[in-house]
Amino acid sequence: MTQFIFKRLLSGVITIWFIATATFVAMHAVPGDPLANDKAVAPEIRRNLEARYGLDKPVLQQYGIFLSNMLHGDFGISFTQKNRHVNDIIREHFPVSAVLGVLALIIATVGGVVWGALTAVYRDRWPDSVIMFLVVIAVSVPSFVFAMLGQLGILAMNEWLGFSLLPVAGWGSFGHMLVPALVLGLGTMAYLTRLMRSSMLEVTSADYIRTARAKGVSPLRIFFKHQLRNAILPVVTVLGPSIAAITTGGFVVELVFAIPGLGRFFVQAVQQLDYTVIMGTTVFYGAFLVFMVLLVDILYGFIDPRIRVGQVRG
Amino acid sequence: MNEEQGETMTAANTPRERAQLEPGLPALEVNNLQVEFAAQGGRVQAVRGVSLSVQSGETLGIVGESGCGKSVTMMSMLGLIPMPPGRIVGGSAKLNGRELLGLSVAQLNKIRGVDIGMVFQDPMSALNPTMRIGEQIAETLMIHRGMSQREALQRAVALLDRTKIPEARQRARQYPFEFSGGMLQRAMIAMSLACSPSVLVADEPTTALDVTIQNQVLELMREIQREEGMAIVLITHDLGVVARMADQVAVMYAGQIVERGTVEDIFYRSAHPYTLGLKAAMPDAHVHVNEKLTAIPGSPPDLFAPPEGCGYCSRCDYAMQVCDKHLPDLMAVSRGHVSRCWLQHPEAGVEVEGLYQPAAKGSPSC
Repeated sequence: MTQFIFKRLLSGVITIWFIATATFVAMHAVPGDPLANDKAVAPEIRRNLEARYGLDKPVLQQYGIFLSNMLHGDFGISFTQKNRHVNDIIREHFPVSAVLGVLALIIATVGGVVWGALTAVYRDRWPDSVIMFLVVIAVSVPSFVFAMLGQLGILAMNEWLGFSLLPVAGWGSFGHMLVPALVLGLGTMAYLTRLMRSSMLEVTSADYIRTARAKGVSPLRIFFKHQLRNAILPVVTVLGPSIAAITTGGFVVELVFAIPGLGRFFVQAVQQLDYTVIMGTTVFYGAFLVFMVLLVDILYGFIDPRIRVGQVRG
Repeated sequence: MNEEQGETMTAANTPRERAQLEPGLPALEVNNLQVEFAAQGGRVQAVRGVSLSVQSGETLGIVGESGCGKSVTMMSMLGLIPMPPGRIVGGSAKLNGRELLGLSVAQLNKIRGVDIGMVFQDPMSALNPTMRIGEQIAETLMIHRGMSQREALQRAVALLDRTKIPEARQRARQYPFEFSGGMLQRAMIAMSLACSPSVLVADEPTTALDVTIQNQVLELMREIQREEGMAIVLITHDLGVVARMADQVAVMYAGQIVERGTVEDIFYRSAHPYTLGLKAAMPDAHVHVNEKLTAIPGSPPDLFAPPEGCGYCSRCDYAMQVCDKHLPDLMAVSRGHVSRCWLQHPEAGVEVEGLYQPAAKGSPSC
């Protein structure tokens, strides 16, 4: 197991290096530079600024400096925000995105498993049809539409109640998180529901379920002890990519709900070609995803004994 | 739960002791069982009036080719076929004198795994891949005997030990994928015998195993039967297995029993052309590699629309005019030996070589 984790960590580092390099190249390939956005600057000031940020050096050397700084955990200073270190931006705003993302992931996973199991139990009866209809909608409608519908819904509800039960936008309390997290998790939840449904149906007709019935195990116990754990395996497999989907989806939802997460800075930084912020956030997200996928793989081993990698057993 | 436990534990622990309480009562008795499956535009009559019985300590072999209804007969009475589309149309199935048909799932769950145990064909897929072997055996004991997990796990180890799994304690903590096929089938047997059932139904228990392992598994079943005295219903298409294991044999074809008798009756006094065909299809050690194996030509009838007459008629070398239109009853050939064939009718007047026909005049008795 340690060997497996070590291997995965190594390949993770390579992945992150690749992400960093690709972003670096892409950024420098885009016309313009971070200083071009500002109002007309005198050439000598501009030269000073370039020297200050190291932009006057050859690209390859810039790349070397960037890598070396990154290895020291230093992402540099923002070009567009006064005196803000990229590390500070991440430190302040990532937790907001993380809380939102984790909540969305929990909603998506729990919802996907529950709805998927329900549709399988009620196969071809009305609860199945209704849920599967909603799933198609949730998969195909983009999240910003749901985000706005969510806001409208909150407004209508508050108006009807006569007081403000849930805030329409902003950040701070659990009430602020609820609807954005739901909106953010919706697409993934729908996808997981479909996956869970087919997986449950497959498990239901498995031989070992018949064995359990032949042993006199009650239907409820069969469902929880035998079906669920086996049916959940494919769902766990796609959790890694789901985390990626939710994280990137977070940018849009954060924008609509005015949530001070990292996503907003990321989008802004790209628009303004804020090199350091783009690099810092991209590499950070990359590392985060690599870590989460590794975590999912380890978790998978716990649920499915057949996958416990690298373990010698007699 | 506790009350029931006390009853079964004090009165009789093994099937043998239980059988002695009511001598002569068959452990399992099936009467005229009919099962059908709803299919697009009609129904498939998978089991068409099967009757059989098995006494404690005895082994009944049910033989027949795939799709003849041998598994469905056993599964349906235990509620193990999907219903719908499956449906039990009629008949009765009594376990120790108690009717099984029409019981609710909750009632059946007090019988399945307790009074009747099942062993399935492919042990690789018949055990839950994400549950430890020990836990799977313990589950039965926890549910039916009200044991604590600790107690049940200990008993599971003892059961694995009994089915000759080496290092049972360590093995109980392993998962199915860490077992070989033969070991899994032993574990499966351990599981089905956890509550000392009166009847063990083994559905093709050795089909998925290689030949040397087959032997060991069969031997194990016999040994436990000798000790505990349970009845075994052995479903198989392997006549060799039947010859070794069975006391009584029922040959099934197209959802019906076509011949039933003792193992000697079936093998030495075969009274149905289908049984003859099966015997001829059995490979033996003298067949040369280049020789083709003998097969019964044709295929079984479509049970979507079962034929009016004998289902074997179109494949039978000895078919008469009557066979096509009229279904024969099971006719007594000798004591306890019946055959569903017009050739056994006193008025048939046809003698077939190799077929045991006491009805035909002057036929040799063996």
